[in-house]
Amino acid sequence: MAMAALRREGRRIAAPLINPHPINPLRSSLASSDREHTLLGVRSISTQVVRNRMKSVRNIQKITKAMKMVAASKLRAIQTKAENSRGLWQPFTALLGDTPSVDVKKNVIVTISSDKGLCGGINSTSVKISRGLHKLNAGPEKECKYVILGEKAKAQLVRDSKKDIELAFTELQKNPLNYTQVAVLADDILKNVEYDALRIVFNKFQSVVAFVPTTSTVLSPEVVEREAEAGGKLGELDSYEIEGGETKSEVLQNLTEFQFSCVMFNAMLENACSEQGARMSAMDSSSRNAGDMLDRLTLTYNRTRQASITTELIEIISGASALEG
Amino acid sequence: MTLNLCVLTPNRIVWDSEVKEIILSTNSGQIGVLPNHAPIATAVDIGILRIRLKDQWLTMALMGGFARIGNNEITVLVNDAERGSDIDPQEAQETLEIAEANLRKAEGKRQIIEANLALRRARTRVEAVNAIS
Repeated sequence: MAMAALRREGRRIAAPLINPHPINPLRSSLASSDREHTLLGVRSISTQVVRNRMKSVRNIQKITKAMKMVAASKLRAIQTKAENSRGLWQPFTALLGDTPSVDVKKNVIVTISSDKGLCGGINSTSVKISRGLHKLNAGPEKECKYVILGEKAKAQLVRDSKKDIELAFTELQKNPLNYTQVAVLADDILKNVEYDALRIVFNKFQSVVAFVPTTSTVLSPEVVEREAEAGGKLGELDSYEIEGGETKSEVLQNLTEFQFSCVMFNAMLENACSEQGARMSAMDSSSRNAGDMLDRLTLTYNRTRQASITTELIEIISGASALEG
Repeated sequence: MTLNLCVLTPNRIVWDSEVKEIILSTNSGQIGVLPNHAPIATAVDIGILRIRLKDQWLTMALMGGFARIGNNEITVLVNDAERGSDIDPQEAQETLEIAEANLRKAEGKRQIIEANLALRRARTRVEAVNAIS
């Protein structure tokens, strides 16, 4: 389809080249009108140029409209999954608490972002928050590392925090997200990274137009035990008798690993929903902009066309009146 | 006085209503939970969960996870769960046979462990189907 358009385009440009001199002014070939105008020294945009612009803007409008519909259908598919996975991490938070203000030595920030662009500002907000958390948690004895999921955050964070990046995963959305894949990923991260607290940064999907950047904190088992003794929310943990393992720490370790993979699963689904929603609204505003541009170009085109017709008429009439004498 | 049972998996909520009693299988054996049980948090093994509503027992196959019991509220979080009534006996039997064949073929520690897990999962499903009938 693109090749045929190119061929048609070529023919239109080739035609005036074959006929370098406009023989008959009554021919009113639009393609040669720009040559007449430049010969007369009148400065105006030729209709050909305007028509080309209109064509490309119209194509852009069609493409962005199609992209919006694709994003809408993808959103519908992931949205049900995301809502179903929300119920899973709530018991964990009820039992272990979500304490972003916990003070630990080794922080790891897991930033979730998208692989493809054209999705509005969600990736930039995630990166901004990650950088903010990094500043908050980096200090004399503390260290803070990044684990990055998604191409876009990697591109932004590699520029200034290259030495702090521990792991980076990309191309996660090739297959639809399912729990087993995320469990394997979570396992990978837990094996390769030393951590006391994992902070997952993602965009929570509240509605099709609202995406809230959020962070969930998962603590390592040793920190959980330490905080449990200190009291507070985690203090309730001690009121539960822990069974099902050799020792309490073994169960706690399994529990935190399970919590991490559940929270990751939910975070990735929510981020994917936010990505599709942001892309929908970005593409929607893009099609609307293209429509506005098209309106303005149409007005310019009509003005140019009418100006050239008027000029031709003036020439003919003045020529005729000169002949009459 | 009834217990409120919630069985959650990453993909969906499998059960969320009141029951009279449940029997859960954990790493250290089976535990029965009646109303006003002491609060405990335990790991759940790959096995069968039996639920009693009035006088009827229902089975559910669970694929490992955690359970928290407290205040007459039971929350079970598992990797996957299937109701006994939703499992096709024929298909479960076939899966069991395939898992057994895989275990015999498996080489290397990792493959043996994975084949063992798959076998236990398949066996649980078959038991869940058989236990009702």
